[in-house]
Amino acid sequence: MSCSDYQFTRRRMLKTFSASLLGMPVSQLLAQGTSLEAKAEHVILFWNSGGMSHLDTWDPKPGRKVQGEFNPIKTSVEGMEISEIFPQLAKQMHHGTLIRSIAGTNGDHGRAQYELQTGFNQSPNIMHPGLGSLVVHEREPLGDLPALVSISGQAARSGYLGQQCEAYFVGRPGQKDPYLTFPEGISHARGMQRLQILEKMNRRTSDQKGAKELKASQTALKDAVALMESPALKAFDLKEEIPATVEKYGDTEFGRGALLARRLVEKGVRFVQVNRGGFDNHGNIFEAMRNHGAAMDPAIASLISDLKANGKLDKTLVVVLSEFGRTPRINDGGGRDHWARVFSCMMAGGGLKGGSIVGASDPDGMEVAERPVKVADLHATLCHALGIDLNKELTTPQGRPMRLVRKEAAPINELFT
Amino acid sequence: MKKSQYITLSLVAIAGTLALPTFAATPNFKTEVQPILEANCVRCHTESKVKGGLRIDTYEGLMEGGDTADAVVPGKPDESELLVRIHLRPIDEGVMPDEGQALSGEEVAILDAWVEAGAKWPKGVTLTERKPEKPRRVTVPTKTPANNAEAAVMLDDLLRRENAETGVITTKTIGDDAFLRRATIDLIGRIPTMKEIREYQNWGEDRRARLIEKLSSNHRFADRWTIFMADMLRIRSNVTGGNQLLAYIHGSLDQGKPYDDLVRELISASGRVNSNPAVGYILGDDAAPMELAAATSQIFLGVRIGCAMCHDHPFDDWEQKHFYDLAAFFGKTKKMQSRRQGGAVYTTEGDEMMVLWPPEDKAAPDKRRPVKPKFPFQMSDPGTTPPHIKRFEAVRLARAERNSGEDEAASLDALLDSVEPDLGKPGDPVLEEAKEESRKLNVHGDIYRSSELRTQLADLITDPRNDYFARAFVNRVWAELVGHGFVEPLDNFSDYSGLHHPSTLDFLAQEFIASGYNFRTLVRIITLSDVYRRSALPAETDIEIREKSELNFAAAPTRRMISEVLYDSIVIAGHLEDFKWPKGANSKEVTREIRVPTGEYTIIETDEPQPVMMAEKKPMRDDGYDLESSLKIDFNSVLNSREQAELATMRMESDEAIKAREMAAMREEQERRVMNFKTETVTETVDDNPRFDSAMRMATPAPPAHFLRVFGQPARTGLGEFRDDASSLRQQLLMLNGRMTHEASRVGTLEPIHRLLKKDQNLAIDWAYQEILTRLPTAEEKADARTIVNNSAEGMADLRWALLNSNEFRFLP
Repeated sequence: MSCSDYQFTRRRMLKTFSASLLGMPVSQLLAQGTSLEAKAEHVILFWNSGGMSHLDTWDPKPGRKVQGEFNPIKTSVEGMEISEIFPQLAKQMHHGTLIRSIAGTNGDHGRAQYELQTGFNQSPNIMHPGLGSLVVHEREPLGDLPALVSISGQAARSGYLGQQCEAYFVGRPGQKDPYLTFPEGISHARGMQRLQILEKMNRRTSDQKGAKELKASQTALKDAVALMESPALKAFDLKEEIPATVEKYGDTEFGRGALLARRLVEKGVRFVQVNRGGFDNHGNIFEAMRNHGAAMDPAIASLISDLKANGKLDKTLVVVLSEFGRTPRINDGGGRDHWARVFSCMMAGGGLKGGSIVGASDPDGMEVAERPVKVADLHATLCHALGIDLNKELTTPQGRPMRLVRKEAAPINELFT
Repeated sequence: MKKSQYITLSLVAIAGTLALPTFAATPNFKTEVQPILEANCVRCHTESKVKGGLRIDTYEGLMEGGDTADAVVPGKPDESELLVRIHLRPIDEGVMPDEGQALSGEEVAILDAWVEAGAKWPKGVTLTERKPEKPRRVTVPTKTPANNAEAAVMLDDLLRRENAETGVITTKTIGDDAFLRRATIDLIGRIPTMKEIREYQNWGEDRRARLIEKLSSNHRFADRWTIFMADMLRIRSNVTGGNQLLAYIHGSLDQGKPYDDLVRELISASGRVNSNPAVGYILGDDAAPMELAAATSQIFLGVRIGCAMCHDHPFDDWEQKHFYDLAAFFGKTKKMQSRRQGGAVYTTEGDEMMVLWPPEDKAAPDKRRPVKPKFPFQMSDPGTTPPHIKRFEAVRLARAERNSGEDEAASLDALLDSVEPDLGKPGDPVLEEAKEESRKLNVHGDIYRSSELRTQLADLITDPRNDYFARAFVNRVWAELVGHGFVEPLDNFSDYSGLHHPSTLDFLAQEFIASGYNFRTLVRIITLSDVYRRSALPAETDIEIREKSELNFAAAPTRRMISEVLYDSIVIAGHLEDFKWPKGANSKEVTREIRVPTGEYTIIETDEPQPVMMAEKKPMRDDGYDLESSLKIDFNSVLNSREQAELATMRMESDEAIKAREMAAMREEQERRVMNFKTETVTETVDDNPRFDSAMRMATPAPPAHFLRVFGQPARTGLGEFRDDASSLRQQLLMLNGRMTHEASRVGTLEPIHRLLKKDQNLAIDWAYQEILTRLPTAEEKADARTIVNNSAEGMADLRWALLNSNEFRFLP
């Protein structure tokens, strides 16, 4: 069910879709000589929409006027401190990495979200794929479930990679997807009977016409039925977990999202994006961030420790990201405004060196002080961790050559040991 | 630099046999090899480009190889990456040439033989790029066709002449039933109803012509082609003026407004969306000169001059200065907003030219000068007025005589009506007096200053001597109806984009111009032609012949209904446009979770842009899976909205002031206290008797993951974005298990088929096939169907469900 599975050769298609020799794209064959030793197989991206304050999370500034209400707390890593809103996460930071010197360039939600989720700036004539779409286009599928799942909202679109690389989305974690079972009143047996009738009808049409569009449609149908019937679907059902586990993740939508993400990764899903909004705190930021912390802390901390316990952490890159940070100066409404000049993100697992801090902001969190990390470098880092060729170029359906990762981007090498 | 031998060999083995014996003799470099390299390779592999690190313009460059491999190893074709790449199929990744046309078999064989023979290159010869040859043309008739049917015959004749010697297979034309289905889907955006099928069958031999006439006059014609225009213009309901623009386009199509008038209005419009909805086009790009120049050129002329915004066009001959010259036509346009909260947004003209040359990154600010607008496109100049332009002028003259005097006063009154809605009833003496007074003032001049520059540009663009204009539109309409364009991507006319059948395109463009840019005439000529009626090739056809025949319009490609059409077709096939059950027939107890207020408040912030839905009804579900509902816009109310906008309070406001006010409003909006909710389970009785609206008038584009989006409706955020016609798993899940297909399949007691089924299931089966697939079942299908239906409504629902889900339903005949 990888998005490159639907062989498709019509106009407007992407050249790479059917570019397989020996079942592999030419470039993958070509790249074999240079392929790196990838450790990561999966990604769980926590997308925090609205611009999450860096000072109140990963980059506290104790004793400065900009500090705000939260005190820093010690973590399991000597010398690394994070905000007090993350007490449980603090104990997991030996698995985590803080990047404190992201140098953003977009202070507008739309443009910044686009850049952070695609690695490119918006430009006319092209819609870049989101990170998840890119990953599932480049890495072969594992297991029955869709390779890309977006929880509690939409992941970035698949852009020029097309409909097949769109995320399979889960409205709310734990809620059943009504489209995975036959409609109300249609028993399983009757549904299967219907499918047989349909199969026969489609075969007749294909026997006459045999166009590849029909075959692609039938492949999609087969995949859809396989998914409906897959035992792996149980991964979506959180009732399988004991109540204590749900409780441990904090019984919130976000906590259930994190728990579901873990279950999906265990079943082979390549990329899970868990969405959460409400970070655009122009007013009353401390109350809001305390609430955010209460939801995020148990969820992400439990996820990391569970992945570690079942041996999946090394293969799963956990990323906590937002489109920008917030102004160090606290405004009259007790909030902070948009700040892209420097902000932070947290990564854990995926074979990255745990317990490290990359770069630093200046004493007030206003500017990058050390080792600027460009937004595209984050993407290069993620691709590198997954063994995706950073120099790969695709040709879009419009005939335009596009690199997967911006040319000037470089992975953060110190995270790969 | 060097890749492993194994990979090279395996590529060669799969890609085809390289050692072709056709050229026993060594090809001549100067007469055979050099022309191929110069026409196909040197453009990108030269001193100034060096794509992939490879130069092919010099022998030394070629021998040095590219970034990944040796391009040519003399005497060893199977180790030469260049040969490997040119042997790939056009659809494969890494195929060369990357841009432009694939090499012919003969050309490939020449290069193979040349490398085999040692790749000899005369000393000191440097290659230079050779422009592609212009596509071959045949003579376009100058005769004036008596009517659309004759024009269609002339079109077919031209196409036949252009296809001579191409080796394509021309298929037979489709049968009458299939034609009815194809044309109804294409022209009015849904499958035909039983009534329409019968009517059509009762017509005589001229039924196809009658059908085209009838469909192109149907009220749904404007609905269907508004979608086409909305894709082309990137209309979005959730931007300022989006819905008004949509309603305006719909109205224009409905009235049969000539295409050039429409485009002139779009490009030159100034003012407020409620009084002048055409301004939605300018507002859609925030009245930004650069974006508008790129969009206007690409949309209306099919030229991607926008690529020259930041640098000279990489694959074409447009220079950055050309782009700036064009952008200057938009250089005085300003987007304004009246000071009141939520005040009207409008455009007006400033005095200063905002487009400066040289570009920002190439000169100090004080060295940059205002650009004088200059149209960078060449007008055709055959010396005398060609016949089609004479015809065009005659049509225009006749129309002008009919309409003289009416327009101006009417439009001014309309403007006054819309800005002063509360002045009084029409005919009110006070109002009439006010109008009289106002006519003496220059309302437009004072507030909504109209754009002289954009009016000039609009005239240049729509000039019948501007070949780009009609061709770009004809190419899009043709592709929508026939499946492929004369140029692909559809908005990329260039010497390098491989235009084919230029004479057929010219003929259609000339007829379109001669009709006075009459959109319906264009659609009628195309749909009356044989080329529109081609059938698909049979399953066993060789893939290359198939592609070639389809690309050359000799065989029909496999087209899927666009998403809105698929949606409406399910609604029509399943009688979901109205209630199909008596009241109370589907009453049932439903247990569901509802959210009830707890009495406590939380501050919430919403920062996700919410799609603006002009909804008549609420979404059906609250579990995040509201993927099939239709959210209807009322076009009339959108255009007649009584939005208060007092002329007197409209003031110029700086961008910063607008931004600051918007931010404040946003903050207010975002940081609101909301009630906390808890979830409770309740049981209630509902009468489940759903109706579905047409998807043609929905807020657009639909939210991501909605049925319409999943079946390819574009986001309309970028230029050059076309409908995605690929299949996906999500599409299948929506069809297999969706509420719409389910409800459409069920046999409602108010449906005709319900009565038929009681009488004779054979009749009911015929009926179901006709209603869903527009044809009768074959004997074999009918036998199968009898087993499935087995005289029961459930069985009939199973049959209908399968028919609706079948490929035959969603792909055109």
